[in-house]
Amino acid sequence: MTDLLRIENLVVEYATRRGTARALDKASIILEENKTLGLAGESGCGKSTLGRAIMRLVPYPGKIIEGEIFLNLDQPVSVKTEDIPMGEVNLMNLDEDQMRALRGRMIAYIFQDPMTSLNPMLTIGDHFIQIMQAHDPEIEDEAALDRAKEILDGLGILPERVTDYPHQFSGGMRQRVMIGLGLALRPRLLISDEPTTSLDVIVEAQILEQMAELKDKFNLTMILITHNLGVLAQTADDIAIIYAGRIMEHASTDALFGNPQHPYTKALLEAVPDVSKPEKKLTWIPGAPPDLMDFIPGCMYNPRCPHAMDICRTTVPTLIKSKSGGKVACWLYEEE
Amino acid sequence: MDNRQDTKLVSGVFYQLSPKRESFQNQSRTWWIIFIIVVGGSLVLLAGLFLLAAQSISQIGIQVVLITFAIAICMMIILSIKDLKIEDGTLTTARGYALFIVMCVVAALILIPLSLVFLPLDSLTFWIATVGGGLTLSFTGLMIRDFYPELRERGTAGILTISGLLIVFAIVYMTFLAPFITPYLPFSINVGPVLDPPSSEYPLGTTALGQDLLSRVIAGGATMLQVAAISVAVCFTIGVPVGLLASFRGGLTDRVLSLVMDSIFAFPGLVLAIAIAAMLGPGAVNMAISIAVVYIPSYFRVVRSQVLTVRELPYVEAAVVMGARDRDIMFRYILPNVLPSAVVVMSINFADAVLTAAGLTFVGLGLPVDIADWGWDLTSGRNQMIVGAWWVSSFPGLMVVILALGFTLAGDGLNEILTPKLQE
Ligand SMILES: Nc1ncnc2c1ncn2[C@@H]1O[C@H](COP(=O)(O)OP(=O)(O)OP(=O)(O)O)[C@@H](O)[C@H]1O
Ligand code: SF4
Ligand SMILES: [Mg+2]
Repeated sequence: MTDLLRIENLVVEYATRRGTARALDKASIILEENKTLGLAGESGCGKSTLGRAIMRLVPYPGKIIEGEIFLNLDQPVSVKTEDIPMGEVNLMNLDEDQMRALRGRMIAYIFQDPMTSLNPMLTIGDHFIQIMQAHDPEIEDEAALDRAKEILDGLGILPERVTDYPHQFSGGMRQRVMIGLGLALRPRLLISDEPTTSLDVIVEAQILEQMAELKDKFNLTMILITHNLGVLAQTADDIAIIYAGRIMEHASTDALFGNPQHPYTKALLEAVPDVSKPEKKLTWIPGAPPDLMDFIPGCMYNPRCPHAMDICRTTVPTLIKSKSGGKVACWLYEEE
Repeated sequence: MDNRQDTKLVSGVFYQLSPKRESFQNQSRTWWIIFIIVVGGSLVLLAGLFLLAAQSISQIGIQVVLITFAIAICMMIILSIKDLKIEDGTLTTARGYALFIVMCVVAALILIPLSLVFLPLDSLTFWIATVGGGLTLSFTGLMIRDFYPELRERGTAGILTISGLLIVFAIVYMTFLAPFITPYLPFSINVGPVLDPPSSEYPLGTTALGQDLLSRVIAGGATMLQVAAISVAVCFTIGVPVGLLASFRGGLTDRVLSLVMDSIFAFPGLVLAIAIAAMLGPGAVNMAISIAVVYIPSYFRVVRSQVLTVRELPYVEAAVVMGARDRDIMFRYILPNVLPSAVVVMSINFADAVLTAAGLTFVGLGLPVDIADWGWDLTSGRNQMIVGAWWVSSFPGLMVVILALGFTLAGDGLNEILTPKLQE
C-alpha cells in the first residue's frame, strides 16, 4: 500500500495580539491510501488547524512555519502556470494557482456547519456548476447538472431538487449536499471537519454510513475530524490523538481502543460514556489544557499527568514506535 | 415543468387569469375582482392611449403607437421561440442567445424599411419614440410573461414589485411617446385661455401661460426620469465598486475612502445638492450629478459593511476550500449577497432623486423654462393656488408622487425577490 499523505514536522502558529500561539507543534502523520484516519482531541487542540494546513488555508493570522506535506498524485494536474507532475509532491513548494487546482480536485474539505456552508443566492445545481467550472472552464452547465443529479441521487436526495435553494433543505440534507459537492470532482482525499456535530444522532448515523459507502465507491481516503470517539471507533482505520498541538498517539483503531498507551489516551477513553455499561464510572481529567501562548517545557501533558516524571518537565518526548504497533510520544515508553 | 412548456407562448398573468372552462364558475370573489381590475385597467389604459393618439397634434400618433406594439410583439415572439428551442434541447443556452440576437437584427432589417415606406420620416424623435416605446413595451411584456408566475408565489412582495415596475414602465412608455400623443405642443403658450379649469377641451386645464396641462403632464416626465436614471446609474457604478474596493483592500485605502464618504454623508442631502447644482448650473445632467454625489456614500457604506460581513461567512470559505477562482468568489458568492441591500438603497435613491429633482427645479436650479417638466409646473403652479387654480400644481405633483411610489414599490419588492430565502 502506498502512502497518500505524509506530513512531517508541521508547525503552525497564530500570531495574535496576546502573543504567538503554537497551534501545531511538529505534527507528523502518515495516511495510507483508502484508509480513514480519525483525528481526535479536546476542543482547541488544533484538529481543524491540521486539516486546513493540508489545504494550505490556515485562517488569518495563522501561518505554516515549517514542515512538509507530501501528497501522492495518481495523475498529473494541469495548471495555468505550471503543471503538477504525477507522483509525490510537496504541497509546501506549490504556488497559489497550483494549490487552487488541487483544492476540490484532489483534496476536498467539508465543514462542520452545513447550515451556513452553502451560498443562499445559488441553487444547489449552481453550486455544482461553479465548483466544476472552477476546475474545468470547458464543462457545460448541462453536463455539470447531470453529474450533480447523479451524485445527489446517490446521497438520497431527489435529483429534481437541484433547482432548489439551500434554505429549502434541512440541515442533514445540506450536509449531504456538501458531501456531494466535495465528491463532485472525484477527489482522492476527503477531509471532513466534524461533519455531523450539528446533526441529531439518527441523521449522523445515516450520513456516516453513506460516507463509508461513498468511500468505497469513489476510492476515497478520508480524514475524519471529531471529538466523538464513538464515531471514530466505527469508522476510522487509524486514529491520531492530538493534545495541545502535538500528536500524542497514532495507532490503528483496534490498538488504540484495546490497548491505549499514552496516559492522555487512557484518560480520554475513561471519560467516554458507554450506554451498554451504565455502571461505568466516568472520570474526567483534572486541570485544563494548557494555554497555547504559555509555552510549557517538556511534555505538554505533564501538569495533568499522573505519571509525570522529572524528565517530562524538561524535555519534549518524541513520537516513537509503541508496543501496540502504533506510535506514542511519552517518556514512559522511551528507553534511554 | 410540462405545464410551463405548453403555456410558454401564453403564460404569465394571462395564463393565470385565463378562464379554465370547468373552473370558471367556482373562482373566488377575490379572483373575479382581480380579474376585472387587471383586464378593465388594461382596457381603460389602452383605450386612453389610442384616444390620445388619435387626437394628437402630430397626426401620426396611432401609427407610432402601433409600431411600438409591433416591435413588442415581434420581440415576444422571438424570445418565445428562443426559449422553446432551448427547452426542448435543440439549442444550448449560448446558441439560443446568439439566435435571439440574429433574429432581432433580421426583424429590425425588415421593420425599418417597411416603416420607412409607410411613414417617410427620419427624424430622431420618431426613432427614439418608436424604438424606446417598443422596447419598454417588450420589457413590460417579458416581465409579465416570465416573472409573473414566479412573483405570484412570492405573495405580497411579488405583487408589490410588479405593480411598482408596471407604474414605472407605464410612465417611461408614456414619456417616450409623448412627442406624438400630446393633444397640443406641451411648451407652446396660449393654446387656450389662461388658467382654464379642467374641461372637455383641456382635460386637465391650462396653466398661467395658457399651455395645455394634459400635454405638459404627458411630456413632463422626461427630465425627471433622465435625472433619476442617470443619478442612480452614476451612484451605482461608483458607489458599489468603491465599496467593494475599500472592503477588499482594507488598510489605508479603506480609511481614506471611508473618511471622504463620511464627510459627504454628514451634509444634509438637499442642501448639498442645491450647493452643487448652483455650482454646475441648471440642466438635467448637472441635476443628476448633484443628486449622485449625495447618494454615493449610502451605497458605499452599505456595500462596504455588507462585504465585510459576507466574506467571513462559511460559504465563502467553503468555496475557497473547493478551489473556486477569486473572481467567482467576488462575483458569484459575495456580490449577489450584497446586491439586495444596494437595491434597497437604489429604490430610496430613485424616489429621492425624483423628489430632489422637483425640489431643485422648485428653487430655480432645475431647468430652462421652455421644457415641459413636472417640477417646473409644480413650482409655478404654487402661485396660482392662491387664485383657486388648484389643477396647475396638483396634476404634476400627483405624477411625481406616482413615479416615486412606483420606484419605492419596485425596489422594496425587488429586494425581497433577489433574496431567494423568502421573507418568512
Ligand atoms: N484565527 C485564529 N486566530 C488565533 N488563534 C486561533 C485562530 N484559529 C484557531 N486558533 C487557535 O488555535 C488553536 C487550535 O484551533 P483549532 O480550531 O484547530 O481547534 P480544534 O481542535 O479544531 O477545536 P474544535 O474541536 O473546537 O473545533 C486554538 O487554541 C485556537 O485558540
Ligand atoms: S511524557 Fe510524562 S507527562 Fe507526558 S504523558 Fe508521558 S508520562 Fe505523562
Ligand atoms: Mg475545529
